[in-house]
Amino acid sequence: MSKVASMFHPKRLDLSGFVNTRLIRDHNKRNAFAQMEPERQALRYIIRNTSLPQRTRAQAQLQLSQMHCYTRPTQIKNRCVASGTARSVFRNFRLNRFQFRMQALAGELPGVKKASW
Amino acid sequence: MFPSTTRSLIGASKRLWVGAMLAIEISPLKPSSRSRKQVPIPIRSLSTPSQPNAPSTEKATTPSQTKPEPTPTPVAPATAEQPAELPVKEWSERLGAFGEHARLPRSVQALYLRPLRRKAEHGLPVCDLQLRSYSVQNLEFFADFAIRAAYYLNLPVSGPVPLPRITERWTVTRSNFVHKKSKENFERITLRRLIQIKDGNPQAVQAWLAFLRKHAFHGVGMKANVWENESLDAGKALDASLPEIQKTVGPHLAQFGQRQDNSVKETIFDSLDSERFAEPKNL
Repeated sequence: MSKVASMFHPKRLDLSGFVNTRLIRDHNKRNAFAQMEPERQALRYIIRNTSLPQRTRAQAQLQLSQMHCYTRPTQIKNRCVASGTARSVFRNFRLNRFQFRMQALAGELPGVKKASW
Repeated sequence: MFPSTTRSLIGASKRLWVGAMLAIEISPLKPSSRSRKQVPIPIRSLSTPSQPNAPSTEKATTPSQTKPEPTPTPVAPATAEQPAELPVKEWSERLGAFGEHARLPRSVQALYLRPLRRKAEHGLPVCDLQLRSYSVQNLEFFADFAIRAAYYLNLPVSGPVPLPRITERWTVTRSNFVHKKSKENFERITLRRLIQIKDGNPQAVQAWLAFLRKHAFHGVGMKANVWENESLDAGKALDASLPEIQKTVGPHLAQFGQRQDNSVKETIFDSLDSERFAEPKNL
């Protein structure tokens, strides 16, 4: 069985709005993680359970380390939904700082106003 | 309704978020003297921020003029400011020729007075409703609406209590590239009001919440904590209701456990040993 990232690609693009290669890749990673999370957690449980035989735990360790990197939660990175940028993305709005500013000035973010104090 | 000895032994707290939380138009709030005045004062007249049911005859006057209507017991600050604003005509004068022989229906007239309230008998809190919004007008209007609705459902209500505002501020660079020193500030202020229902019938409280959900106002979010009070022998009642609960939970519990047609009869060690498990799953 090959361990290529293409196995996580959907047949059809299941994203709308702004689309970017890196955005699609991150989306695939999120899907892969969601799909394989029970298995990861099971293996993690086996590894940490000291009442299990050492051989079993070592096997589980190996298998966990051999899982595809797309199934790791650390691979997920928040990206701006309007521009795909990965840097300085506000969690509240899922927007990049510059997109946030543009949309706030355009009045598209409810309640956000220019502040002066 | 509940004797004081039987106060909430078992409090079931429920929480419901009403969707479409805080979707608001951005247009800046009009800095009217009314809104500024009402925010810091805990007790204020809730007479008429803006009433949609107002008769068409008062279109000539602006909402700010309709405010100091002759209330039975007007609040002190409201009466103090009355001379500064335009003189308000009596209803009979405004209605013209009809006014001489007719008056507004009492239900309509009540909209121009402070909301009526029931008196709490024991003062046991039953429901906390928190309203949130980014605009004062919407929030004040809906709080007023909720209090009036509670009166007609025979629910004693206290509030609206203005809770501390939630201010979020963001500072962003003005440009998309370099020019780090030039920044811009944005803020979002969430206004909150707390409305508390005291010793009301649980069903009436549910009806009230459902009514508010049905007539949810745009840009106003709601969150309710509901408490139910039980009598002292709550344990016996729980035991008695056990068979019914088991019946309702049965179909859900049937989903747990291994399926009948599960042919795999190996332990987790066998599956770990097998080669197929070690291979990545076919997606």
